[in-house]
Amino acid sequence: MPWTEFVRGGLGAFFGALGFAWLVRTPRRAWIPAGLVAALVYLLYLGLVAFGVADPLAIFFATLAGSLSGQLCARKMKMISTVFLMAAIVPVVPGLGLYRMMAYLGQGSTALGAEQGVSAMITIAMTALGLAMGSHVDRAIHPSHWPHHG
Amino acid sequence: MIPEDTQNPGRCMEPLQLAGQIIMENGGETFRAEETICRMGEGLGLHEVESFAVPSGLFISYRAEGEQLETGIKRVHRQSTNLTRVDEVNRVSRQVSAGKMSAQDALTRLRDIARMKGPMAGGLSILSAAVCAGGFALLFGGWLPEVGVSAVVAAIVQAFSLLLLRFHSRGIATNILGGLLTAMLPHLAARLCPGLITEAVIAGALMPLVPGIAMTNAVQDTMRGDMVSGLSHGVEALLTACMIAGGALLSPPLLRLLEGGGF
Repeated sequence: MPWTEFVRGGLGAFFGALGFAWLVRTPRRAWIPAGLVAALVYLLYLGLVAFGVADPLAIFFATLAGSLSGQLCARKMKMISTVFLMAAIVPVVPGLGLYRMMAYLGQGSTALGAEQGVSAMITIAMTALGLAMGSHVDRAIHPSHWPHHG
Repeated sequence: MIPEDTQNPGRCMEPLQLAGQIIMENGGETFRAEETICRMGEGLGLHEVESFAVPSGLFISYRAEGEQLETGIKRVHRQSTNLTRVDEVNRVSRQVSAGKMSAQDALTRLRDIARMKGPMAGGLSILSAAVCAGGFALLFGGWLPEVGVSAVVAAIVQAFSLLLLRFHSRGIATNILGGLLTAMLPHLAARLCPGLITEAVIAGALMPLVPGIAMTNAVQDTMRGDMVSGLSHGVEALLTACMIAGGALLSPPLLRLLEGGGF
């Protein structure tokens, strides 16, 4: 995978998540960390794929890392974790896959549309699994966890 | 400071209800609302503080020193997403639970938070949607032309959402029309700018419409064993995605119609 893909992916995830955080009116001091969490998730995903890891597994591990780093950011900054967890999942939302599914279905290519749809559903499931696992691990490490710490 | 609040338990119900209401109306998780209410109640010196929240309402009960059990219900109407408000309520809750803020001060502060500028007010949300779409267009394989067009398309869609909001229309109309415009405008732009990667433009411009908060909340609530809220947020995310997809699916036949072909 060419290095330009990493630059493009990292920058895209950073600015995309930053814009999303701004759109849902997160506090200003969370914008840059949210962007960095998103960039980390996407770069990790690209790195794992480049090392030959299967796509669903790469998404799971990247989201897990994003979930854990998001919880850490929330605790360090004494903010709600939603801000950072949202940033962790947004870059791996299968936007392109869902668009392709709709485009194929719109053209009447049901089989191709279904293929894209199943792939997008697997991505969503892996994202949810990674996020949930991250939350679970964080709660196991910090049993006294309550909303003021994320 | 705390005992004077508990002498009048009615004064404690309002800040507790308002704290929960603000969290849930602005995109916070139900478990967060429940825990915030309990912690604030304990900080105000109340006993047997219990809260039960579902996405459409709050139930709170507590017992003040030497008083009967006090119970309150609050209907919650989901408005929009403003995580700054949720975070500000969290700050108030920290102070109350540490015994540094009285019920009256908390109520005053919470009323200020509830009056904070709404998320859809002003042109800043248009700019934020443009930044979001531009970034994701880059991520989906676009370069400068795709980033620019995606940002413009997202800005138009966001402006359109603001316009619909003036007519008290949100949800269904915003998502379906948003999906339709997001899928249609890049194809029109491609006529003016040949070579444009429309796929990256559309996927990028769709991202500001993605129900990211509902997806996060669904997982968070489910992980804490709150299946009702988890399922509710999950269904909300699914329905929003279906409406956006439905809008986008209307785009090809409409484009064919504009080109003079059949529907």
